[in-house]
Amino acid sequence: MTTAALPRVPGDRDPRVSPLRRVTGSPALRLVGKRLLMAIPIMLGVTILTFWVLSLIPGNAAQQLLGAEASPEDVAQLEEQLGLNESGVSRYLSWLGNALHGDLGNSLVSRQPVSEILADRLPVTGELVLLAFVVSLLLAIPVALLAAHKPNGLMDRISMMISTLGLSVANYVLALLLVLVFAVTLGWLPAIGYVPLSDGLWANLKTMILPSAAIGLPLFCFYTRFLRGDLVDQLQQEEYVTTARAKGVGSWQVLLRHAFRNSSFGLITVVGLNLGALIGGTVIIEQIFALPGVGQMLLQAINTRDFVVVQAAVVIFALVAVLANLVVDLMYAVLDPRIRYGSR
Amino acid sequence: MRADRTTYATGDAYVSTGMIDSRAPAEAHRTPAAPGEPLLTVEDLRVQFTRGGRRINAVNGLSYEMVPGKLMAIIGESGSGKSVSSRALMGLLPGTATITGSIRFDGRELIGLDEKELRKLRGGDIAMVFQDPARSLNPTMKIGAQISEAVRAHADLDKKGVQARAVELLRLVRLPAPERRFHEYPHQLSGGMRQRVMIAIALAGEPRLLIADEATTALDVTTQAQIMELLVELRERLGMAVIMISHDLGLAASYAEDVVVMYAGRAVEHAPVRTLFSNVRMPYTRALLGAIPALEREPHSMLPVTPGQPPDMSALPQGCPFRPRCPNATDKCLEHPPFLEHEPDHWYACWHPAGTELDTAPEVTAAVAPATAAEAAHHSTAHDQGAAQ
Ligand SMILES: Nc1ncnc2c1ncn2[C@@H]1O[C@H](COP(=O)(O)OP(=O)(O)OP(=O)(O)O)[C@@H](O)[C@H]1O
Ligand code: SF4
Ligand SMILES: [Mg+2]
Repeated sequence: MTTAALPRVPGDRDPRVSPLRRVTGSPALRLVGKRLLMAIPIMLGVTILTFWVLSLIPGNAAQQLLGAEASPEDVAQLEEQLGLNESGVSRYLSWLGNALHGDLGNSLVSRQPVSEILADRLPVTGELVLLAFVVSLLLAIPVALLAAHKPNGLMDRISMMISTLGLSVANYVLALLLVLVFAVTLGWLPAIGYVPLSDGLWANLKTMILPSAAIGLPLFCFYTRFLRGDLVDQLQQEEYVTTARAKGVGSWQVLLRHAFRNSSFGLITVVGLNLGALIGGTVIIEQIFALPGVGQMLLQAINTRDFVVVQAAVVIFALVAVLANLVVDLMYAVLDPRIRYGSR
Repeated sequence: MRADRTTYATGDAYVSTGMIDSRAPAEAHRTPAAPGEPLLTVEDLRVQFTRGGRRINAVNGLSYEMVPGKLMAIIGESGSGKSVSSRALMGLLPGTATITGSIRFDGRELIGLDEKELRKLRGGDIAMVFQDPARSLNPTMKIGAQISEAVRAHADLDKKGVQARAVELLRLVRLPAPERRFHEYPHQLSGGMRQRVMIAIALAGEPRLLIADEATTALDVTTQAQIMELLVELRERLGMAVIMISHDLGLAASYAEDVVVMYAGRAVEHAPVRTLFSNVRMPYTRALLGAIPALEREPHSMLPVTPGQPPDMSALPQGCPFRPRCPNATDKCLEHPPFLEHEPDHWYACWHPAGTELDTAPEVTAAVAPATAAEAAHHSTAHDQGAAQ
């Protein structure tokens, strides 16, 4: 970020700066612009790579649709119909041209428009990710605060034990364990399947609790450890914490108003970076719990070589990652006054 | 030497840890100063850190006394325990520290106070300003919020009253445009202004003792002088005592009335600033001052500015901790020298104080700084022989 050498005070109007420059000069706006510009090469790179990898897998959608017994003539005919006989480059370019106009095309297999498929599937994955995030953060923050309030105290030891345990279990193993306990043994929740939100909140939640727990519990452990560590570092190393204590304010106030405020930057970064890995995790979890989300769609599309649908899923995932980074940067700008006023 | 000195009774009024060794009579107990009761009496203060199984004795039996309203300087080289001992006064040390000895503030023992009493004390009776104002203010909070927090901790005021008091404090420390600065963040202020804000925060609870721990070290010379003048002025206006911690003897000489020189976690010399400069007794203080008379110095020789390494606080030498670096050291110094009021108002801990009949200072070569402790020892023995011939 380039900033003027002069110290800036908010509200100061530098007469040398044109009104237009003043608007575009806003650090937040510049940030959004920069991120969106950066998104272009990322999206191109990701889609080209996907296209290329798919072309390496033997077989195409026509062969998959017609099955192994189909005559070569039938396959060739369908290939022509689906446009699969054209070169990879020209297929990619025509896909790209349509995508840029907002048309992600139709599934090669079901002929359904991809936008319709996504409209069905995105809410499922979105709900899964959101639940996992919200629950893990809502639990991790108070637990980390309690642990950091008395390092090496009882709460700290307990939370350390739980989070070490939780981090050492892979999420698909955890998923199976959860199914075994809560669905098979206790019979409280369904093992698999999905009920949409339109059929009632509780009915929907019952199908989402186990999958989001399978994703959210390791996250909870990770966030707890991270935040606890960062809080303790702040408390022990930062001089402004000593200042706060020297003022005579209570230890909880020091923790909440001073240490947590500054630790939240680190937490936000970690949460944002996590989102990519988290979405990867949904592919497996949706498969285990038979949830009709984007991850499941992606696996099916790869099996049927339905490159149009695969591309759509990849575009969505990449877009979410880019947006997550943007949101992290914007939150920084909101929370950290040094960035807000462009002095750094 | 004076005859009527009070010796300090070990094991009295402080937590016994078994650490106190048998080298009594150790630190002496100071008789109450003439103008009324002392405000602060530190007696045989010891702070030990345990880190990774290693013990660091950061403060090793520090004793000093201070009357209300005084401006006292604590000086000593880096690592001599200045910050640790002053943080101990406010209970600001981390849990890894074991504190023993006695700290009496206005007649009340501070060691062993519970967290609630300590909170009232911090910022209330005793306040502190730290070295680096860039790091000691919270970067994410407005100046106003940070002062208000300190005001609220010690006064029961409504929101408006808190803000009014905070602005008043900013005005008291002469921060320009206090109403506007109230709504700004630390990074929008210069170093000197930030330190003024730190002082305002420290004054919020109307402390009777303000500790400025190298409060001007991070500032440029002009700002340094301004902040020092401000402290001097505030002390007079508010009638509070000030301890200024510094490793700059010149700064201490210009502003302080009393000087405590610390070495290896102890006070080694304590006197009014004039006495100290006219009659320096400790070889260490003399080395700090570079005050060997010019006549005795060979032309172009190096100034004996504390040669050798500062002591390792986890393995102090036997006897006087300065011995490995001391040009005056003799075998007598293997025994620990007591910290006593050898002359009126002049305290020191040394067997061979400079300028007395016990002085063993080498006459010529003391000016040539020995680079290592071993060399120092070699030097002084060689000299003793030379003197004997
Ligand atoms: N939290 C801690 N844990 C372990 N050792 C510590 C801790 N704080 C300080 N020390 C040690 O205590 C000794 C005295 O440190 P102190 O900060 O009091 O020195 P100082 O005289 O203030 O020096 P300076 O002029 O550098 O500020 C040093 O050896 C230091 O390493
Ligand atoms: S003369 Fe002896 S007691 Fe005095 S400072 Fe030197 S070593 Fe210590
Ligand atoms: Mg210090």
